Amino acid sequence: MNIVLVGLSHKTAPLEMRERLAFAETLIPAALAVLVDHESVDEGLIVSTCNRVEIIASTAAGADRGIECLADFLSNFHKLAPDSLNGHLYRHADAEAIKHLFRVASSLDSMVVGESQILGQVKEAYQHAINAGTIGRVLSQVMHRSLSVAKRIRSETGVAQNPVSISSVAVELARKVFQDLTDKTVLLVGAGEMGELAARSLLDAGTGKLIVTNRTAERAEEIARKYSGGAVNFEAFYDVLPSADIVLCSTGGTDYVIHPAETQRALKSRKKGPVLFIDISVPRNIDPRIANVENAFLFDVDDLESVVKANIRERQQEAERAEAIIAAEVQNFVQQLRSLDIGPAVVEVKELLSQMVVSEFKRNRKRLGDLSAEQEAAIEDVLIPALVNKLSHPMIVHIRNAARDGQPTQMMEELRKMIRIE
Amino acid sequence: MEILWIIVLTGYAVCVAQSIFALTTKRPVLRKPALVALAIALGAHTAWLLLRGLRTGRCPLVGVQEMSAFLSWGLVLLTLLAYRWYHANALKAFIFPIVLVLAAIAAISPSPSQPAPEFSNSLQSVLLPAHIGLLLLAYASFFVAFGAGVMYIIQERELKHKRFGTVFYKLPSLDTCDAISSRAMAIGFVLMTLGIVGGLWYSYSRYHIYWQAGPIEIFSVVTWLVYLIIIQSRINAGWGGRAAALASIVSFVIVVCSLVGVRYLGHGF
Repeated sequence: MNIVLVGLSHKTAPLEMRERLAFAETLIPAALAVLVDHESVDEGLIVSTCNRVEIIASTAAGADRGIECLADFLSNFHKLAPDSLNGHLYRHADAEAIKHLFRVASSLDSMVVGESQILGQVKEAYQHAINAGTIGRVLSQVMHRSLSVAKRIRSETGVAQNPVSISSVAVELARKVFQDLTDKTVLLVGAGEMGELAARSLLDAGTGKLIVTNRTAERAEEIARKYSGGAVNFEAFYDVLPSADIVLCSTGGTDYVIHPAETQRALKSRKKGPVLFIDISVPRNIDPRIANVENAFLFDVDDLESVVKANIRERQQEAERAEAIIAAEVQNFVQQLRSLDIGPAVVEVKELLSQMVVSEFKRNRKRLGDLSAEQEAAIEDVLIPALVNKLSHPMIVHIRNAARDGQPTQMMEELRKMIRIE
Repeated sequence: MEILWIIVLTGYAVCVAQSIFALTTKRPVLRKPALVALAIALGAHTAWLLLRGLRTGRCPLVGVQEMSAFLSWGLVLLTLLAYRWYHANALKAFIFPIVLVLAAIAAISPSPSQPAPEFSNSLQSVLLPAHIGLLLLAYASFFVAFGAGVMYIIQERELKHKRFGTVFYKLPSLDTCDAISSRAMAIGFVLMTLGIVGGLWYSYSRYHIYWQAGPIEIFSVVTWLVYLIIIQSRINAGWGGRAAALASIVSFVIVVCSLVGVRYLGHGF
């Protein structure tokens, strides 16, 4: 029994190719049915996201045959010439396949290492396969372990920890200044795209009110409406400055629109705690001297970018640790999988019983007196095997159940003790 | 008694090491062992106080050993309370070292040699321990405010200089530091007020005068006034977070002077 994995990702194929090979969610049950319909495929699972398509299967026909089968399935299902996929597909078997799956689920293979979406996507793919009935003993163990390894990587390493986009860094900074974002007001100065994005991230993170101001009033009102906020006149926004806890600035202008003196005055009348200024415009719109005002904190694009860079580096370091953890988990799991293979165990049980029955027969042969050739043949070829099968059947059922529950080695030990009295 | 102190000191030492380690590295650090160590140490600590109290038939608040033990015990409880309310893990790193130092002082100090004061009625036997205990808890609370103030200043510096070390990520938000500081100060102030009232009442009950202008009383009242002014200023003048944090730091220094004054200028029992 082998585990095989075939697929492509943003690392091996361009977007157009990934698009052509993607599986729409509604098509997945049908695709899974076609997949396991193949003689070589026992169990199957399809993961299809915007960045990757992966087919995972368990096969009894050998790794090479299984891989070939999966590659054919991909090209046939999407009606593409099989050669068109060459160079874009990666093919893995057994330990390599498991390692790849663990890495993907832990987001180590993602475009942004540490992203949180992929785990949910893998879980969904698993659920689809369960619903379609294409998950059996082997893949259920594999998937369970993948999900728990992914969780372990996320909690034990820093791979998913610090934010790596400007908007999420802004949210993180807000959380470092303010304990509770829900009653905080965000003032958006300038209705540029980056500013809106950052404002949206803050609103998603739970901030309370949004006030928008822009040189063109209509644009300000448009954005205010979109996020159920309020709009103010650009000339008058200093009046609302005292009530703003977070100020996002992203106008297209080239001059400073926020100056230290007025800010200081506004903060004095505020009495409500610190203010976070985030200047995402280039060139800067907030006078850098505001950083010197007490209880005001100013971050410009460079500052945010350097945090992002530092966090990315951090994630990469943590990714190395994560790879080490995954290597150990793969080894561990492969061993566990081997014990799932009950073929040898069944043979062993039958052998043991057979030996016992045959030796007793030989020992008591004389008591049976003279037997015709037919009778001898009947005993050796029919009776004894039938006896062995009948005796071993309940044991084999138990071994199978134990293998499904993951305790076959224990069961085998017990069985050996029971069959053989030393 | 010795064995209990060994357990207490070992447990707290583990906690100190873990909390400082957790503050300064990015790896997730042995939280469970530290939690276990804390539980054991606190248990032994409480046991020591109870046993001393039972053995002497009074509250364990006489002499350096007992007061150190009680003060460090109070600090641990307050830190746990702060954690429960604010989930500020980093606070431990600032408070536990002092807990360890105080516990060490208690461990090596001799038991009080003087006999307990004679009380003429049972009211006095309640008031004196209440007075001392409340004041000690107040000091513990002011120390928590001090710790939170220090955290605030550190966090603020990181934000101002945009230099984000590991500590930055581990410290709670500015708001949280500020909230802990102000609440701890308020609680400390209430405890101190009650403690002073208890002292006045005890003094009257025993000596029939409310106020003997000795060094301890003067320092206590000065401390009380300082905190009163600070708390008023926070509310009325709307002090920003930075000023409030500095205030909680400076005021605690005054508290320490007060305690040192008590030790060296003598006190009356």
